[in-house]
Amino acid sequence: MAGYSSGVKAIFCPGCGDFGVQAALNKAFMDLKIDKSNIVMVSGIGCSSSMPQVFGVYGIHSLHGRLLPVASGVKLANSKLTVVGVGGDGDGYGIGSGHFIHTARRNLDITYVVMNNEIYGLTTGQASPTSLRGAKTKSTPFGDIENPINPISLAIAAGATYVARGFSGDPMHMAELIKNGILHKGFALIDVFSPCVTFNKLNTYEWFKSRIYRLDKEGHDPSDIGKAMQRAMETEVTNWEKVPIGLFYKKEGETYEDSDIVLKNGPLAGQPAPSKENVMQILEENR
Amino acid sequence: MVSVSVRIAAANGDGIESSGTLLAKAAARKGLHIFGYRGYQSVIRGGHVWFSVRIADEKIYDHGETIDILVALNQDAVDHQASHLSKNAFVIYDSGKIKVDRLEGRGFRLLPIPLLDIAVETSGDPIVRNVVALGAVMKITGIGTDTLHQILKETFGKKGDKIVEQNVKAADRGYGYEGVETAFSLKSDNKKLYVMDGNTALSIGAYSAGCKFYAAYPMTPASSILHWFAAHEDKGVFVKQTEDEIAAINMTIGAASAGVRAMCGTSGGGFSLMVEGLGLAGMIEAPIVVVESQRTGPSTGLPTKTEQGDLLFVMNASQGEFPRIVAAPRDVEECFYVGKQAFNLAEKYQCPVVIMSDLFLSEHIESVESFDIDRVGIDRGKIATAVQDGRFKRYLLTEDGISPRSIPGTAGLEFTAASDEHNEYGDLVSDVLSGIDEHVEMRNKMHSKRMRKLETMLKNESCFVPSVESSSGSHSLVCFGSTTEASREAVKILKSKGIDVGLISFNYLLPLDRKATTDALKGKKLIDVEVNYTSQLAQIIKLCTGIDVDYKINKYDGEAITGEEIARKAEQIIKGVV
Repeated sequence: MAGYSSGVKAIFCPGCGDFGVQAALNKAFMDLKIDKSNIVMVSGIGCSSSMPQVFGVYGIHSLHGRLLPVASGVKLANSKLTVVGVGGDGDGYGIGSGHFIHTARRNLDITYVVMNNEIYGLTTGQASPTSLRGAKTKSTPFGDIENPINPISLAIAAGATYVARGFSGDPMHMAELIKNGILHKGFALIDVFSPCVTFNKLNTYEWFKSRIYRLDKEGHDPSDIGKAMQRAMETEVTNWEKVPIGLFYKKEGETYEDSDIVLKNGPLAGQPAPSKENVMQILEENR
Repeated sequence: MVSVSVRIAAANGDGIESSGTLLAKAAARKGLHIFGYRGYQSVIRGGHVWFSVRIADEKIYDHGETIDILVALNQDAVDHQASHLSKNAFVIYDSGKIKVDRLEGRGFRLLPIPLLDIAVETSGDPIVRNVVALGAVMKITGIGTDTLHQILKETFGKKGDKIVEQNVKAADRGYGYEGVETAFSLKSDNKKLYVMDGNTALSIGAYSAGCKFYAAYPMTPASSILHWFAAHEDKGVFVKQTEDEIAAINMTIGAASAGVRAMCGTSGGGFSLMVEGLGLAGMIEAPIVVVESQRTGPSTGLPTKTEQGDLLFVMNASQGEFPRIVAAPRDVEECFYVGKQAFNLAEKYQCPVVIMSDLFLSEHIESVESFDIDRVGIDRGKIATAVQDGRFKRYLLTEDGISPRSIPGTAGLEFTAASDEHNEYGDLVSDVLSGIDEHVEMRNKMHSKRMRKLETMLKNESCFVPSVESSSGSHSLVCFGSTTEASREAVKILKSKGIDVGLISFNYLLPLDRKATTDALKGKKLIDVEVNYTSQLAQIIKLCTGIDVDYKINKYDGEAITGEEIARKAEQIIKGVV
């Protein structure tokens, strides 16, 4: 991998969908020519969360489910940085689902790429929050009886301002989605179907290829939240016969950091400690 | 020393907190020393609440056990507070509303004043009855009304001149009410004094250290730090109320990693949620400050009451081993200095610093002299600016265990901070590499590098030893954190009875210098005083030095321990009664 590589080899299995995401991220960074010292890639825990290791940018490989709060902290501290969250479906939609909703509604300028393989890979194949109903896994040998989370409709409902879905079988398309997500001012979710070739024998490349279609080729208007929701729910309506990818929803508006009374004056990082006079002034409030 | 304890008691929503603060500020503005504490419940209206302000002509360390002047604003106040009245106590009460039969003929000086009628006459607002009562208190204590007038003007000025006038008038009516006479003579030493609680002092300390980021989920008794930061956003401090405490600590780690001095705060329940994040900060060597203000536990416990029950938990929280610093400021003034110093320690040693407070220290108000802003400077630790050769080694193996860190945005110093075990570059040695000889060796080296920071701290810093106030007597009190103030008061009380007792107090619990701590504890019979059941400090002392304390005083009913209570029990111990 040229460009933004650290030289460290990825731990992904041969054929893993996450290689497609790696290539797409690299292409997006290259196209945008972002200075690598200004990128902070934050991940959680899981196969896909080892992604920051292979990039020669600043990275934080944090805790399972906690990448969004860590990424938010980085962005809040220095809004000049390009902050990219990368993780899996268990990480983001399972253990980290609370943070997912709140980060979406906060609308910080963070790009979040979720490598969604509908399975827990690194723990050797248990059901995930996006496993389809009926999916047989190590933890659901008789079939999963819970309904899967729909990250697209959930993100739109929670207030995310850029909601897209990519597919590891089409990394060039995904790279465009990531690139536009980074350019978008606000919280951008790019959910990516990233097949697990080792543990998920149901949702394979072929399975997706026979079902997906591109929203941009159907004239979808991503500024229409009602239409976006309708497209988002198409997987439920058609019982996964028709699976849209591309940009579902996009809304321009003020980000968190543009609205906050402190942050709109510039990044916190680099600001000096208050002068002695400032401290004394505050002390006087207590007389 | 002359000391007067005033207690205003009423129901939630009656405005006693602001009355208590007005009284404390009016006294302190006169140069008198104050110590105030509020007893309240987890309800918004109703219930029984009180605010005690003890006023004295020298520095005092508790709010006192008995009441010299009771302002009873409802019947509960008389019924619940009667047993706390001192001999000859004054009782101000609303003549038309409250029955005081149970107090009659017992030597108390009963002062019926039509508080409500006067309030309505002067302002039309029933809540102003508090100010009428305060006027009477100013007369009895001999403090006068000039500083109360000033404080009323400053407090209500925003609401307009008319409101100020009404309040001043109400205070004067109480002050001049027939039969209210001056009974105390407090001498001011004319010092310039400030009045604040521990959380305010801690917040100012953090602000002074250049802390720009505070994240929290609301939880008593830490919430007032959140409120302080929110109220000072115009001073350039950013505050984030998060969806939970897990987000709070992880955001703090993100902000600290991006080079900003960052802090989060909570009580024990929220800290339980933060524990995994604490370990992350330990592993990636992120310099964060966490405030843990304890309340009575376990579980939800008594949300508005105090305890020191989380010490061992905080010292041991998280899986695995990593260096951390645990501080426990002993009084309001020290909350400022520790609040500032914590950021230096966090950044110099690149580890989490937990500041332990508790409801009593977080919320009681105290008069303090001006802080010495320059006493604690700013030291941001080792920060790398240029690459030596090849990739940056963020976790360089060094003798002192500290590796220069780089801040995102700095070209050429990119690295990944990993919660997995890693090598000097930050590359994982956990997945495909674990178990391979070379990487087994790296785990050894990296883990011992981190742990070595503890030795470096002990070598470089002078704070990790207890303070000793020695005495000619055979016994010393031993305590940590907020219990120190009541212990100081106990030493004073015992001295007045001719009993000389020493005091050994801890404001840092981790790490501890074994030799210095042993030396501090040697040679006296030790009376350990803690607001918990299991004497957690005594357990730490045993572990650190092998020394067993000789006697234990424990309190865990949720109420603040007072000097008189400690003195009474210590006296029995010293005299061999128990």
